[in-house]
Amino acid sequence: MMHFIEGSIAVAQAVRLCRPDVVSAYPITPQTHIVEALAEMVADCALDAEYMTVESEFSALSACLGAVAAGSRAYSATTSQGLFLMFEVCFNLAGMRLPMVMTVANRAISAPISIWNDQQDSISLRDSGWLQFYAEDNQEAADLHYLAYKVAEDHRVLLPAMVCFDGFILTHTYEPVDMPTQEEVDAYLPKFIPLARLDAQDPISFGMLANPDYYMEFRYSNDQAIHRSKEKIREYGKEFGAKFGRDYSAFVEGYALEGAETVLVAMGSICGTVKEAIDEMRAAGKKVGLLKIRVYRPFPVEEVAAALKGAKRIAVLDKNISLGSKGAVALEVKDALYGSGIPVLDYIVGLGQRDIRKRDVARIVELAEKGEGDLFYGLREGVA
Amino acid sequence: MVCPEGCIVEQEDEFFIPDYDYCKGCGLCAGECPAEDIEMTKEEK
Amino acid sequence: MAIDKTLELFDCGHRACGGCGPALAARLILKAAGPNTIVVSATGCLEVFSTPYPETVWKVPWIHSLFENQAAVGSGIEAALKKQGRKEKVVVIGGDGATFDIGMLCISGAFERGHDFTYICLDNEAYMNTGIQRSGATPLDAHTTTSPAGKCSTGNRRPKKDMPAILAAHGAPYVATTSLAYPNDLMQKVERAIDVKGPSYVQVHSPCATGWGFEGDRTMVVGKLAVETGLVVLFEQTDGVITKVKKVVRKPVEEYLKVQKRFAHLFKPQRNDTEIARIQAIADANAAKFGIDIKLKKPAEKPQA
Repeated sequence: MMHFIEGSIAVAQAVRLCRPDVVSAYPITPQTHIVEALAEMVADCALDAEYMTVESEFSALSACLGAVAAGSRAYSATTSQGLFLMFEVCFNLAGMRLPMVMTVANRAISAPISIWNDQQDSISLRDSGWLQFYAEDNQEAADLHYLAYKVAEDHRVLLPAMVCFDGFILTHTYEPVDMPTQEEVDAYLPKFIPLARLDAQDPISFGMLANPDYYMEFRYSNDQAIHRSKEKIREYGKEFGAKFGRDYSAFVEGYALEGAETVLVAMGSICGTVKEAIDEMRAAGKKVGLLKIRVYRPFPVEEVAAALKGAKRIAVLDKNISLGSKGAVALEVKDALYGSGIPVLDYIVGLGQRDIRKRDVARIVELAEKGEGDLFYGLREGVA
Repeated sequence: MVCPEGCIVEQEDEFFIPDYDYCKGCGLCAGECPAEDIEMTKEEK
Repeated sequence: MAIDKTLELFDCGHRACGGCGPALAARLILKAAGPNTIVVSATGCLEVFSTPYPETVWKVPWIHSLFENQAAVGSGIEAALKKQGRKEKVVVIGGDGATFDIGMLCISGAFERGHDFTYICLDNEAYMNTGIQRSGATPLDAHTTTSPAGKCSTGNRRPKKDMPAILAAHGAPYVATTSLAYPNDLMQKVERAIDVKGPSYVQVHSPCATGWGFEGDRTMVVGKLAVETGLVVLFEQTDGVITKVKKVVRKPVEEYLKVQKRFAHLFKPQRNDTEIARIQAIADANAAKFGIDIKLKKPAEKPQA
């Protein structure tokens, strides 16, 4: 059923439909509306969950860790500084192969402090072993939660997943979103059945000490698991398409790629602006296209290489920066295209929600055509 | 009771014998036994 | 409910030092807790020596996450069990470093939220697993590697943080202090703490032979001296009211200090009267506050011939 709702509310409703047992919440702009909405649902008995108002994000994720280990479906949401406070727990939770879903309302990171959007926060957790999905709009933001739980909890995967959507741009924007019914979601996402849990009937130990003789195999097995998730994303994404009419089996989506000479690569809400800019440029005769990346971890190397192989040049729009190096998406795209000879140019854009307009996209394409890339785009006049 | 290893086991004859595979020789048992019945002997190699 | 003292849920074969206080404490705690328990451990000696993959000594379900989040992990487990309608008890065990210092945030939150669980602190008065560094639980003048005695220092400069009082101030329905030198008292209090609904705190004074500098067979003796000098008070507090205190015929603190290498600098090269007096004052204050002194009846004076 179609609703015209705020992104945060769409996500909260989707989480409600996923029936988490335990929700642990700590407020942080711009995620607050999500946790507030969930609290209201619990207070009105519309969501039957244990709602914990924890004393920090560190505790929020730690509590989820305990809850999942005890065999319950758990949920939390955060952003920026909150995600960074959870840093240690993120690696620990993934390392213990505990599946859960966490929404990250992408926001810039301190210092300087900013409450506005970019993707530096979740990108900085790319090594953590969590699956990472990036939503282009609120429909995707909501839908990806059902998919994420199903993939994460599959016994061939058993890893936590982040669903990332842009703070303010998506969280606080009203869009039409199709929300399924509880019965429809129950038919797609069954109850969580842990592979192992803390249970006095069958005691086991979680989180042990591994000395040099044993440690490396654990990290290898985690890496194997995240690669295995690809097949489950395809399978469950396809099933979602069959049941709800929106197919999520692809990790990337091409837009106007046929015959494109310059291909832009981007993640998240910026894709909406890019698509409109491409429509204008194509109408004016420019052969330009977009490759949207929806699954960033595991990184879809083959799919990216296949989609981009016909291009003359790639312009990556990175809403993040690995200081001292390049944007994280550009680095992965370069890796995927290694040996192809296709130049990959990196544009750092939109940090701290610096505005990106259609004309900026067009200018970036012009810069790419001139071979000018690997720069911060849109700095104020007089700066570098 | 006071063995940190929990390796002293009551035998059928109601005597308590430590499991020497796990005994670390700390001597807490000897120190606490109210019957003063345990003697620590150094095992020389 | 009778405690089955023959039950061994903490197996042997762990890698603790011979005579380890916390190892003994863990064994006794599990006897009191029983098999229907889920244990959450913080990083520390106990966790490290008890679970060297692929071996584990824990015969109950056990989880270790990080150094400082055990109370939060325990909170999450409690919430999940509640939602699932399960009856297992949650027992969180942390060392003094994990409890007094780095884990303060999570413990405060967990107690404030009132989760039904038991937090047990194995207090060996320093960060032992990393090589004996000072923590908020390190007593005055103790030598540790980060509060060493030297030409310009008499060791740790601050008295012990009063953790039981802090958690009692959170409204915890049950707070108790114990020592592994009194194992039956320890087991009884742990059992009570687990039975009480809501967050309970039990602090276990656990002498560490390696860290404090005494022979492993003297763990119980040293533990008893701590209590007998009044530096450690064994009490029980229910709903904010102290209901039970162990009374002693008090010995001077010197008897406790001189058997540990970590206080050796108070006696050599000469007796440090000032510092020993300060430590005595702490014991005296404890005695006054809790009323631990047994007043022995003076023998009747023989009439002068």
